[in-house]
Amino acid sequence: MPSHFTFGVKRIDAALRGNAAEQGLPRAALHELHAADKGDKASTAAMALLLAQRCRALDSDNKPILWISESGEARRQGRLYPPGLAEMGLDPSHIIHVDAPDSIAVLRAAADGVRCAAMGAVIAELSGKKPKGLDLTATRRLSLSAQQSGVVTWLLRNGSDKEDPLPTSAFSRWEICAAPSIPLEANAPGQSAFDITLLRHRSGLYGLNARLEWNCDHHEFREQDIAKTPPNFGAVSPLPAVRTNHQGARAA
Amino acid sequence: MALFLPFLPSERIIRAHGQPEAPFALTEKQRGAVIIAAADRQAVALGLGVGMKLADARARVPELLAFEHDPLADAALLDRLASACERYTPMVAVAPPYALILDITGATHFFAPDAADPDSGKSGEVAAARDAEDMLDNVGYSAYWALAGTADAALALARHGLQEGAEGQLPVSALDMDSKTHQALERAGLYHIGDLAERPRAGLAARFGTELVLRLDRLLGIEDRPINPIRSIGNIVTEQRFAEPLTHIDAALHVLEELFVAASKQLEDRGQGARMIRMILFRCDGDVARLGIETGAATRDAALFKRLLRERIDTLNDELNPGFGYDLIRLSIVAAEPLAVKQLRLEGGQDNQGDAIALVSQLSTRLGRDNVQKFQPTDSHIPEQGLLALPALDAPAPLPWKIPPSGNPPMRPLHMFDPPQRVQVLAEVPDGPPYRFTWRRKVHQVIRYEGPERIASEWWQRKDGQQHGKGGLTRDYYRVEDAKGRRYWLFRHGLYGEEKANPNWYVHGLFA
Repeated sequence: MPSHFTFGVKRIDAALRGNAAEQGLPRAALHELHAADKGDKASTAAMALLLAQRCRALDSDNKPILWISESGEARRQGRLYPPGLAEMGLDPSHIIHVDAPDSIAVLRAAADGVRCAAMGAVIAELSGKKPKGLDLTATRRLSLSAQQSGVVTWLLRNGSDKEDPLPTSAFSRWEICAAPSIPLEANAPGQSAFDITLLRHRSGLYGLNARLEWNCDHHEFREQDIAKTPPNFGAVSPLPAVRTNHQGARAA
Repeated sequence: MALFLPFLPSERIIRAHGQPEAPFALTEKQRGAVIIAAADRQAVALGLGVGMKLADARARVPELLAFEHDPLADAALLDRLASACERYTPMVAVAPPYALILDITGATHFFAPDAADPDSGKSGEVAAARDAEDMLDNVGYSAYWALAGTADAALALARHGLQEGAEGQLPVSALDMDSKTHQALERAGLYHIGDLAERPRAGLAARFGTELVLRLDRLLGIEDRPINPIRSIGNIVTEQRFAEPLTHIDAALHVLEELFVAASKQLEDRGQGARMIRMILFRCDGDVARLGIETGAATRDAALFKRLLRERIDTLNDELNPGFGYDLIRLSIVAAEPLAVKQLRLEGGQDNQGDAIALVSQLSTRLGRDNVQKFQPTDSHIPEQGLLALPALDAPAPLPWKIPPSGNPPMRPLHMFDPPQRVQVLAEVPDGPPYRFTWRRKVHQVIRYEGPERIASEWWQRKDGQQHGKGGLTRDYYRVEDAKGRRYWLFRHGLYGEEKANPNWYVHGLFA
């Protein structure tokens, strides 16, 4: 059973290697993903699920993914939509979806999940600047359990304070942001794209960033050259089929 | 055995507010008049009865107090008393308004007749009945009891304060027919059940109907009617009685664990495992605490049971209060499923699936079974109806999800809003794509879009369909990307002009 998982993008995996023997990130650890903005919540969730899926694919046994979120937050910010997961190339049948009443219950359920070696991955979603119960002790508990059981654990933070992210014992911390896609024909939005930035890493790596595109058919990430992506600003909006007198409105 | 509580409503009032100084009655409004629905012991002794007008009663007893009659509270109280009586037998039924029926056949071996008291009766049944009377008396309810071969006979005897063997002395009104029949019987000179019992049945049936004969047979114990117990009996029941009540929760939990081990031995003999476990803790003052545990897969694992039990106790809204102590603890396996003996691999492998199910059981016990879910696809083109979120505890085998043709980006969002959130959109009429939209006070400029994908409501629910006006409006969905690279799923609700004069826009989901 491989001890590390990778993004499948050579440049990042090699950079993450650092002084370690293996490429990529260790599985038996806690990793943090921060949404760059509140609007990037879906991208952050997708990144965690896709990486969890890559982890699961390393093993032959079909272990479930435990997804834990706050129920009140889910009502306001949207819930996972399984048909959308299926379209991303993730099988929703493997997900156990847990609604916890508050952040403490989320952390508690996550701690129980991480301790259970039968889980493929545990993803806990917390929102707000200072979720109650999230501190060094709680994350240390998760990290230690992950080390013992070998279950990869993701902590998703939505709306965290960029200046002062709470100190945690996570192995790595990433910032995820939605990126403009490479348009398809007729200027339709293309495959999901993410801007990822490494904020913190145990071995001191910093500032690694990339723009990744997820290919739903091949189930892999591809790096986009940021310079080559067509700039969004100033893009010509498509001409309407019917001419109207609202030119001013459209230009705005 | 039947227990009849003639003063249940008034004794409920006394228990709640203390004994009033004057006789009192519970009243309700009927056809504009205030009528006595129940009276207390003193009022009955003064000759007041049910059905009397309050004004008439006050004329006879000026100091009479009146309280509001609350039949729902009485029914709830009767249910609670029925629960308390489950200590005698699992077969307890309520007979509204004020009676309980207990099937104590073969359930009275713990109630040995009291040798010191020659009047205490000869059999365990009488001892059990006296114990029940004492228990009710201790909590302030007076009860009449009667034993009989059938439920109806016992009930009628208890209502009229008679004992077994006195069926013949019951008045004909014990038949519980309508008042016309009772009158007709009395006019014919038949005042007691004994008078009827001697008559040939055919004549009675011809004159008063077969219903009367049936009820007569039931009263005389010739025909039995099954009772409907308040709770079904478990497959396996283990219980422990204590001479000295247990006053510590930890001791009680320890007893429950031991009972589970005993029950799981029985399960093992049958090749089964428990899916649903019910525990009842009887307090010696008649209070009853119930606990239920459900597991994701059949189990006989005592360690898992212990873990789930702790979870259950932790998540109780009102903590377990032993009060004066528990004197009977019962554990029953309500649902069981086949479970073969499992052998782990010699080198000490892990039972992955079992561990996963144990975790699901634990989380379901802590957070509620509806909050731990698995997803199942359904066959509907309406986006929010395309999935079922089932409790993970009883999720069926996974079904395959629809995989879109390759080469396309996702057409369905990763996050969905329920309900969809309203946005202000600048778009061309009648059916142009959105140019710009305002969501949560932020303006988003649409850079790329794809659409519309028109999702109509189900035709059989549309205006001209079979179920009128339930289908909702047609939606035009657009996949749009804004200047920051975020992708949204917007829709126009209703066709412009045809279905709605000015359709609203909503954001239904977020793409990754």
